[in-house]
Amino acid sequence: MADLNVNPGQNPIITETGKEVKGTSETTLLPHRAAKYNTITNTHVKIYVWELPVRVWHWINFIAIFALMITGIYIGKPFASASIAEDAYYSYLMGWARYIHFFCAFIFTANMIFRQYWVFKGNRYAISHPFRKIFWVETWETIKFYLFMRHKKPHFIGHNPLAQLSYIIFMGLGSVFIIFTGFFLYFEPQPESVYGNMFFSWVPFVFGGDSYTVRSWHHLVAWAFMGFTVIHIYLAFREDYLQRNGTMSSIFTGYKMEPKKYVGEKDEK
Amino acid sequence: MITKRKKTVLQAVLDQGVSRRDFLKMCTALAATMGLDFSESDKVVEAMETKERVPVVWLQFQDCTGCSESFIRTTHPKAESVLLDMISLEYTEVLSAAAGHQAEEAMHHVLKNYKGEYILAVEGSLPSEEGCLTVGGIDAKETFQEMAAGAKAIIAYGSCAAWGGIPAAGPNPTNAKPVTSFMKDTPVMLVPGCPPIAEVMTGVIGHIITFGQLPELDHLGRPKAFYRHRIHDKCNRRAYFDAGLFVESFDDEGSKQGYCLYKVGCKGPTTYNSCAEMRWNGGVSYPIQSGNPCIGCSEAGFWDNGPFYTRRAKIPGTQTTINPDNVGLAATALTAAGVAIHATGTVIKKKMDDKRGGGE
Repeated sequence: MADLNVNPGQNPIITETGKEVKGTSETTLLPHRAAKYNTITNTHVKIYVWELPVRVWHWINFIAIFALMITGIYIGKPFASASIAEDAYYSYLMGWARYIHFFCAFIFTANMIFRQYWVFKGNRYAISHPFRKIFWVETWETIKFYLFMRHKKPHFIGHNPLAQLSYIIFMGLGSVFIIFTGFFLYFEPQPESVYGNMFFSWVPFVFGGDSYTVRSWHHLVAWAFMGFTVIHIYLAFREDYLQRNGTMSSIFTGYKMEPKKYVGEKDEK
Repeated sequence: MITKRKKTVLQAVLDQGVSRRDFLKMCTALAATMGLDFSESDKVVEAMETKERVPVVWLQFQDCTGCSESFIRTTHPKAESVLLDMISLEYTEVLSAAAGHQAEEAMHHVLKNYKGEYILAVEGSLPSEEGCLTVGGIDAKETFQEMAAGAKAIIAYGSCAAWGGIPAAGPNPTNAKPVTSFMKDTPVMLVPGCPPIAEVMTGVIGHIITFGQLPELDHLGRPKAFYRHRIHDKCNRRAYFDAGLFVESFDDEGSKQGYCLYKVGCKGPTTYNSCAEMRWNGGVSYPIQSGNPCIGCSEAGFWDNGPFYTRRAKIPGTQTTINPDNVGLAATALTAAGVAIHATGTVIKKKMDDKRGGGE
């Protein structure tokens, strides 16, 4: 435990009795990437959890997914027809839907690549540790917490490991699926172009062989994103309700209000 | 029969009383069919003047003979000029006059005398189960493997030979597989379609005669000249797709106006074939032009890819198709219902914990 004192604050957890306990994955790993905080009351600190690039990434991602979802559903099942039911010359409804879809797809992809970079550059709340045992131990405790069972889930200032796991599955793996299948579909009219070759040589083999299966993957993963969004928003509000720590405002401001003990300090009397 | 085959294509044509002028026309049409540049038509002429007729063995397995039927309806080049001038069809169950032992003998004659020279055209899929398909008392798989090993190249005609097709559709009682599952080493080209376009079928043979090798193939082994683009990319109704003008049902105004058939299940966006350019019956029309959505017959597993007149998505790894938006919406609604229940539980638990006096 000695090296944990290198960065005072945010490392050891001090329980109410004043005893140090073993920290969580969040408080023990990557001490050099700890977040800054200010003491604002005798009992609470204001900690800068979500840095500006993470917040910008989140909202660009939100806008891109929102636009992609609406245009994507339209492309799969055109729920509206052109208002001028005459020659094709006068309208470009599907054309615009596809144009917006492709435009947002490039933004979504670039955004995702940037976020991957920020995993290595950002503070300790920008990264996950799925290859460590403690990650899975804490995930299991978190699952029990969500199932209202007896648990030893500690408080996490950033994302709890179950949330991190859901981001790895949906935002990570899901994005990889949807980006690669999407670019395959995008370059279908130009299979022999440089970009077409980049995807035609392997995407269909990984995703079931034919164009129809690739398209099906794309469509189904899109709906998985929808389900993820519902749960994500609910759990964010739930955290805010249970902890009263400003979770909801933190995605706008970056700051959370946390009791001092979670950053390893004692309350002032 | 053997002496006849030793003639070059040109000689065979002239023997039939065709003028050289018509021979050149035939070569130019063939070059166009093969997707060659106009400047390359002299290569076709040169090949037809110097190359001998190619022996072809045409085997039929689990099929409906639709591919053969399509083949004999080719217009550029005409079926008779292909059959009589360009190739020497040594064995075929549909067209041959010979039958029984005579026919079987002709096939073995080819294997003995033209090893590594003949083209093996295959129609239909092969069953993995023993005894599901025998011709002349011999298991079809054995016949195929024997003939495939000695062939210069194999042309898998039709979706059955290329992907498994209807015999391989669920529940697939014979455990049918594409012919490529039963062979190795011999160069193979897939010419899928149910059936393939007649001019495509003859065009690929013309290419082999002209250049002495298989045409350029795509990532799935189909000739690029004919399977490079999707129907959707070249569709004559594409402008209506981009405009957002769709046929909603087959008796509505849009249907009369020739609007896009996307909403009535057109598989054009996922189907690689040249129907939109080559068209059918000598370039007269093709399904979409005639008002019927593409059923995607040249794609792998097309029979299992859902109803012809509905847009669906396949659950990967299965033969089940679903309406992705309805299922997705239902799943999202179910998630929202779960969230509501969980939220109620959360509030109750929090109230209980607060009353007990220790939240942490």
